[in-house]
Amino acid sequence: MIKRLLIANRGEIVTRIIRTCKEMGIATVAVYSEADREAPYLDMVDEAVHIGPSNPLHSYLSIEALIDAARKSGSDAVHPGYGFLSERAVFAQAVVNAGLVWVGPAPEVMKSISSKCYCRHLAAGVGVPFIPGTLDPVNDPRDVAAYGREHGYPLFLKLDKGGGGKGIEMVSSEGQVEQIFQRTCSIGNMAFGSGACYIEKVIDSPRHIEIQFVADNYGNCVLLGERECSIQRRHQKIIEEAPSVVVTEQERELLFDYSRRLVRRMNYHGAGTLEGLRSADGRYYFMEVNARLQVEHGVSELLTGIDIVKCQIQTASGEALGFRQEDIGLRGHAIEARVYAEDPETFLPSPGRISGLQLPETGRDLRVDHALENNYSVPPYYDPLLAKVISWGEDRTRARERLISGLEQFVIVGVKSTISANLRILRHPNFASGDFSTAFMSECFNNTGSHFGKEGPR
Amino acid sequence: MEKSVNAIIPGLCARVVVNEGDKVSAGQEVAVINCMKTEISVTSEWNGTVKSVLSKEWDELEVGTPMVMLVVDGD
Repeated sequence: MIKRLLIANRGEIVTRIIRTCKEMGIATVAVYSEADREAPYLDMVDEAVHIGPSNPLHSYLSIEALIDAARKSGSDAVHPGYGFLSERAVFAQAVVNAGLVWVGPAPEVMKSISSKCYCRHLAAGVGVPFIPGTLDPVNDPRDVAAYGREHGYPLFLKLDKGGGGKGIEMVSSEGQVEQIFQRTCSIGNMAFGSGACYIEKVIDSPRHIEIQFVADNYGNCVLLGERECSIQRRHQKIIEEAPSVVVTEQERELLFDYSRRLVRRMNYHGAGTLEGLRSADGRYYFMEVNARLQVEHGVSELLTGIDIVKCQIQTASGEALGFRQEDIGLRGHAIEARVYAEDPETFLPSPGRISGLQLPETGRDLRVDHALENNYSVPPYYDPLLAKVISWGEDRTRARERLISGLEQFVIVGVKSTISANLRILRHPNFASGDFSTAFMSECFNNTGSHFGKEGPR
Repeated sequence: MEKSVNAIIPGLCARVVVNEGDKVSAGQEVAVINCMKTEISVTSEWNGTVKSVLSKEWDELEVGTPMVMLVVDGD
């Protein structure tokens, strides 16, 4: 069993992981960069280790600094959180090589599934539908043009190793092929160490549906329902909910069947997510595997009562999950709003010092995951996520009302935040009725955020 | 006359897209800043020639940090 866990991350997810560790009686070690010296969670852990400068390349992205911190602090395990090194097989391998427990799937499994084309082959092998296109990377822009002539435009060029909403480029005509192909390869080489890209057909008005699973080393794979994450800007999620209003009981059974087949074939242990799309005509297409804890995991926790971080720690320790599929009920409805340090109109970043803070009153039906306090300085070097407000209700209407009332109580002064943008979305008639797709932000607010800034590769 | 093109927002230098000796015109993008994972374009206010590049990828930037030095046309 793990006794002392190093959390190789920053921000709200550190407080989230600390909470479960305290419940399980596990000591915690936090790491911090120069910019995070004042982070509130540093007072909540058993030990805090300084790992380097603000520049994440030499702190949160430095395998050497993190392994060193784990050794110095006497940690016996590492939880990577999300983002940063969480899906890098080389980090997982370094942790294992240092004789520590990696809280995540095996490094070999992570290495394989980091390739989207590997996942496409995997799906093809077990009869799970995936987005039409090429199974393997295309090596020449002429192959893209040939595909376009046969199947039509627009089409997506996607990086085989891309992620986090990056490396997805739409090609609208043959005239654009050469330039977009070169640009995509170049982005991939710089940001992901691989310029390989493949073709995906564009799915019409899709909804983003994903399945949360936890799997132990003894063949028990439990599905914790789906989450719908169609409300996005710049391919990044803003609002997530479970269950999805469009997934029927019959469709859920089908998705669960697909998920079991994929998880078994991958030989995956721990918590993970299978992301997919649902087309306007009700077809499901598997997209990719996220081999980590997701930002929006709390939605599934409120729906099922299962602590996903606890499952991760137990399975990493070689323990069996303490429940089976038939023990899981999907009760009521949960919705999460991500509060970013961004302008609520333009979604432009807004770092700075928080000069006033009022958090919503939390309870059984409202959870706020955050790492904020008054006078805290939000650094410009990392993810803009400030807090996640998650509500539960007996049905979707009540969950939505509780989330609105929670966000109305939430005040952040000193930096701009997306609280008011979240309220606009939640109050929009199309959101209220459940009638939306991933195009919601551009269709309902004429805003994708892409006019002002583009999602960067780190 | 020399002018520096400065960071307009804090963050990390994503890339400088001009090289020493390049001609640039007013409004042209010369560098990109990664602020909280969003890429923000930095443009030149002047027509001129790049004298030196002062920032490189991953450099930490404050508002006003000089990124590119220009020799402005018309001197």
